[in-house]
Amino acid sequence: MTDDIIRVLYLDDEEPNLFSFKAAFRRDFEIHTCQEPHEAVRMLDDQEFHVVLSDQRMPRISGVEFFELIMPDHPDVSRVLVTGYADTDAVVDAINKGQVYRFVSKPWNEEELRSVIKSGYDLNRSRVSNALEGQQVLSALDGFVQEVDRLAGELAAGGSQALPAIGEGLEGLRARMVGERVRYGHWVQQQNEQNQQ
Amino acid sequence: MIFRARYRRVWGTALLSVALVQLFTGCSGSMLEKKVDSLRLEAFTDPSGLLKPEEVHLRLNLLESLEGERPNMGSTLDAVWVRVSGWQGAPRQARVILDNPTLDSIDVLVMDGARILGHHFAGAAYGKQKDLIPTFNLPLNQNHELWFRVRSTKPLVLPFSLTQIDRVESMREKRDLALATYTGIVLAILIYNSFLAFSTGQRAYFSYIFVVLTVGLVQWCFNGYDRLIWGDIPWMRQNGLTMMGASSGLAALMFAREFLEVRRYTPRWNRLIQGLLLVYGCAMVAAVFNRPLIAYNLVNLGALSAPAMLVLSLISWRKGNSSALWFFVAWLIFLVAVTMQALRDFGVLASTPLTALFLPLGTVFEMLLLSFALGDRINLLKRSSEAANAKALSASLENERIVKEQNAELEDRVQQRTEALAKANGELSGALGELQGAQDQLIQTEKLASLGQMTAGIAHELNNPINYVQSNATSLHRDIEELIEIVDGYADAMSAMESGAPNAQALVERASARARQLDWDFLKEESRQLVAGILEGADRTAKIVVGLRVFGRMDGDQPVQASLRELLESSITVLGDRARTKAQIDVDLEADLPLLWCQSGKLSQVFMNIIVNAIQATETRWPEATKRQVSVGLSLEENAVHGEAMVVRVRDNGTGMDEETRQRVFDPFYTTKDVGKGTGLGLSIVKGILDDHGAVVEVESALGEGTTFLVLFPLGTQVKPSDSVNQTES
Repeated sequence: MTDDIIRVLYLDDEEPNLFSFKAAFRRDFEIHTCQEPHEAVRMLDDQEFHVVLSDQRMPRISGVEFFELIMPDHPDVSRVLVTGYADTDAVVDAINKGQVYRFVSKPWNEEELRSVIKSGYDLNRSRVSNALEGQQVLSALDGFVQEVDRLAGELAAGGSQALPAIGEGLEGLRARMVGERVRYGHWVQQQNEQNQQ
Repeated sequence: MIFRARYRRVWGTALLSVALVQLFTGCSGSMLEKKVDSLRLEAFTDPSGLLKPEEVHLRLNLLESLEGERPNMGSTLDAVWVRVSGWQGAPRQARVILDNPTLDSIDVLVMDGARILGHHFAGAAYGKQKDLIPTFNLPLNQNHELWFRVRSTKPLVLPFSLTQIDRVESMREKRDLALATYTGIVLAILIYNSFLAFSTGQRAYFSYIFVVLTVGLVQWCFNGYDRLIWGDIPWMRQNGLTMMGASSGLAALMFAREFLEVRRYTPRWNRLIQGLLLVYGCAMVAAVFNRPLIAYNLVNLGALSAPAMLVLSLISWRKGNSSALWFFVAWLIFLVAVTMQALRDFGVLASTPLTALFLPLGTVFEMLLLSFALGDRINLLKRSSEAANAKALSASLENERIVKEQNAELEDRVQQRTEALAKANGELSGALGELQGAQDQLIQTEKLASLGQMTAGIAHELNNPINYVQSNATSLHRDIEELIEIVDGYADAMSAMESGAPNAQALVERASARARQLDWDFLKEESRQLVAGILEGADRTAKIVVGLRVFGRMDGDQPVQASLRELLESSITVLGDRARTKAQIDVDLEADLPLLWCQSGKLSQVFMNIIVNAIQATETRWPEATKRQVSVGLSLEENAVHGEAMVVRVRDNGTGMDEETRQRVFDPFYTTKDVGKGTGLGLSIVKGILDDHGAVVEVESALGEGTTFLVLFPLGTQVKPSDSVNQTES
């Protein structure tokens, strides 16, 4: 998954910062920058971003407030707070509430920020994949339930004549369940491997 | 003391009276010896008064014998003819005396039947001084008759006697002496009491003087001596006694009215006194209209006043007028004397020299007693006034004592209070010291807090430019590496082409491919921009550092010449981030203003404080940062009060203040912020710093509209540093 292009959005009221950011990370990620919070919201709605960075101190709105604003619609995007001087209380509070994934202070260390973005991307991916996996498991379970219902219906209607068909059906169901089990097992293993990295 | 003095006076009076009696009796005693009883008197009255001497012998049948030493014919207008006989055989020096000086006229006729042999005149009506003792020679012929024709409006008392001529003279001398003595006494009383009258100013004394004068004159009149005074006035010769009697009555009544305080003690008696006064007045009028008999009888009627006064004085005494007793006694003596005189006149009492003394002595005693009474009354007044004085004195002494006690108590209390105050003062001084210590500490805390704010601001302000300078440098480094790589590729290709190497074309193509791959144009543009960013960041950093230079002297008290514009700019720069993030700040600072001697660090603290307050005020009012507006201005203005001044104006559209807050805004520890959010010292420190700079701070504010802080630096009253060494600072 790390092969995919990582799309990053950076929000800061100071234009030189935006330019520096783009110059520094354009080779690694797809960088989008923005000076206005409302424009940032619109860009988030238009396309998928993996990581969103925001300056804490801006006129009109703070970084934490901006994250609070986008959380409901974009819960999976990784949020990184960048600030020149720590308003420690606000930042700690934001991290504890889960609004912020990481906190980076200016002047930033390029390598550190790069890895933060990458791990933010990973987090985003894992969140997305978790969600997908959950969906898949749920739909598989729904299929099993339908199959069980169908077999029970046949048994009630056909009586003892229907038994051979039901037996086949049960075989089929078991094979599907084993298959799903193996697939899920692989996924979990894969996740563990990723986490260990 | 007072009583003893009174009795001493009474004793003195007693001794004086004894002496007087001896004197009077002494001079009268000689007269008694020479009295001749052998005269025989026969009289008849002539009611018409027109009977002529020639006709007298025809009326001998009317003659009646007169008995007694002092035959009294009563008051009458009739003429009385008296035939005196019994003188025959007397020595040649013998003289007939009719010793009544009040008789108006005495005609003495020596008759021989119807023939008049001799005619003499005497009596008050003639006013002759030598007639004071009317003396008549005896007829030469013992067969002749001696007739007296007597008329008088006063009582016709006819004390005839036969005396030797040399005795008459001595009699006269003695009488003169007696009257002179009497007059002397009266004059003494008069002068003494006049002196008292004028020194005490009591009205009773003046009426008393009148009494003494008139009573004395009445005595003169009785003895005929009044003719010495008005011997030339016929009317007075005849009416003197009546007039004097009436006057003395009037005087006595007036005196009684004054002395007995009739209006006060016995108001109803005032009527009687008025009536009696009227009687005496009528007597005087009658005398004036030549009705001497009526006048005399009216005076006699007025004499009723004597017993009336007696009763009145008793009543007055009973009613509490203690002086009235003196009056009673005096009046009693007078009344007794008058009664004695009357009894003597009517022959009830023997006409001895002693009885003759009753009236003058009575009057003397009356006068003396009345004088004493007055003295007593004055004493009484004095005593009561003394008592009042003593009472007032004791009251004032008591007051003084109370005042002294109160003073002592007050002093005591003052002492206690002073001690308490001194103690409280000491405690307060201690508390004040502690408070000042606490305040100093708070001011220090406030300074540190603003230093902390400033540090935070500066850190943030610096971190941004440093961030992109550093980041840009890294990026630029990378770009330059790639650009160098491209340039190197082209350089290799160029040298290969020059040396005619077979791979030259391939190298050119590779270099072009690399340049395309690395996006050559983009790299060039980006590099330029990165350099521009670095330059801008460096510039911004430099600006902040300039601001920091100002704040570097935050605690320095050294005065420097600074530009207010620069101070304001650096303050806003330092606050910049905070200002930009929280409110819209409009800055309009006039350039080229005079430099200001100031403690620049402290002034920056002042401006920062005021601007931060303004921002906070807008934050409280507006939730949206876009509506928060703060403007900072600097201009040179002409102020009505302070003259030309540089004016820093910080205006916000925040909550504004009510009047109370506006007035207390510079009070230490006054804060509208929540507990723990503000020390309430910020603006009081601001005020202190501005006062040190001779600047004036004014606040205009309205609730819901906003606040404007005006800081005026009057050019005329700039505070110059005393220490010239510091001027090198700037």
